[in-house]
Amino acid sequence: MADLRINLAGIESPNPFWLASAPPTNSGYQVQRAFEAGWGGAVWKTLGDPILNVTSRFAAINFNGKRVAGFNNIELITDRPLDVNLKEIYETKKKFPHHAVIASLMVEPQQKKWHEIVKRVEDSGVDGLELNFGCPHGMAERGMGSASGQVPSLVERQTYWVKEVAKTPVIVKLTPNITDITATAEAAANGGADAISMINTINSLMGVDLDTWNPIPHVAGKGAHGGYCGPAVKPIALNMVAECARHPLINVPISGIGGISTWQDAVEFMLMGATGVQVCTAAMHHGFRIVEDMLDGLNNYLDNMGIASISGIIGKAVPKYSDWGDLDLNYNIAARINPDVCINCNKCYIACEDTSHQCIERLTDSTGKSFLKVRQEDCVGCNLCSIVCPVDGAIDMIELPRELQPMTWNDRQAVLHAAACKVDITK
Amino acid sequence: MSEHQQFLAEREQIDLLIGKGYQIHSVKEHLNGATVEFVNGEGKQKETLLIGNANARKYFSSLIVKQSHLSP
Repeated sequence: MADLRINLAGIESPNPFWLASAPPTNSGYQVQRAFEAGWGGAVWKTLGDPILNVTSRFAAINFNGKRVAGFNNIELITDRPLDVNLKEIYETKKKFPHHAVIASLMVEPQQKKWHEIVKRVEDSGVDGLELNFGCPHGMAERGMGSASGQVPSLVERQTYWVKEVAKTPVIVKLTPNITDITATAEAAANGGADAISMINTINSLMGVDLDTWNPIPHVAGKGAHGGYCGPAVKPIALNMVAECARHPLINVPISGIGGISTWQDAVEFMLMGATGVQVCTAAMHHGFRIVEDMLDGLNNYLDNMGIASISGIIGKAVPKYSDWGDLDLNYNIAARINPDVCINCNKCYIACEDTSHQCIERLTDSTGKSFLKVRQEDCVGCNLCSIVCPVDGAIDMIELPRELQPMTWNDRQAVLHAAACKVDITK
Repeated sequence: MSEHQQFLAEREQIDLLIGKGYQIHSVKEHLNGATVEFVNGEGKQKETLLIGNANARKYFSSLIVKQSHLSP
């Protein structure tokens, strides 16, 4: 059995699965139930001046029979008094001393406000703080959340203010609602953050009711943008984690968040540089006991890979993530249709013929039976046919023998540029 | 002509000149691809090819990379 313990910037937890700051971590009752189920840590629902909420608050996208492919909320931070939350944090920590309890914080961007809440919250015995610079709705209209998280100088300054008084590790939670998340991640690191977490939710409008024309969700017929999360956002989050992990000036641990629903998702985030992960939507969809499958799956994966500790996978795939200009232009793959498995549905043929490179042929054998064949020399290896194919194993993407030495775009441009000094190579 | 046939035709033109001892002397990239000028060993004979096919442009680029490794 592998060692699943993690240490994120000094915050230790028995496994890498934390509940993210959100409705599942609203109270001591919930967090203690989560720890009993197996979660290694919890980031308490954001503390600050208690707010007023609206109803309704959530909406989801169901896609092709899969419920909650994406999830959206317009709920704000905690609506409970700070002292109530702190008492429950203290009790939870006393009952579960080896689990990680992190307090998410959000106040107006003023030094004294940050100093006050940090001091009061740390007295409750939390293991760390997470600064919420990410929530995109409601609080952002008041200058907090993503409104301050989108401005690198504000991220740096507020982090610095917190670090002036904080005694526990400080995680800065970043908004994805920005062109380049590495800019704010670097600002957080410059402000003294001990770690960063990403991503918070993405600005979203889930839909419009075709009968009433109300936005979804709506509050008495009106709507406002919410924060999007759930499985649909995972690729966006994974890219942002990877971009920060490989950035030379961002040298703090990362807590990965965004659509993580399975142990496989968690492994992907950790391979791409996350020290641990935070989960919300999957728990809201399936309940706290979903962590049992995550723990079993992660354990089995590490055992099968012969890896003794979870720390052995952190960041291992980061060197494989690069810029497009560093990819090999002379590496070639092509599709191969396996006639024994293919059901001749023609999905691949239509996709290739209509929207790709017209390299699949519909042929008929000597018995009159139709079959599909890839004209390999015209296949550009785009993967589209295998993506649309409904049958596993019917289409393989195979590596073609190398005809030319590896050459990236950047290699090419460097050689052309160098040659231009001697000969006339222009653009 | 298929993309692959176009590639084969353009690669053949390139290989023909390389086979005759030409080297790539200059490349001008533009909206229609690249105009590649070849010179022979003594630099007195010149030939120009318009290379439009993407794989053929990869091909001559690889030759330049190879040529640069061979050059002093």
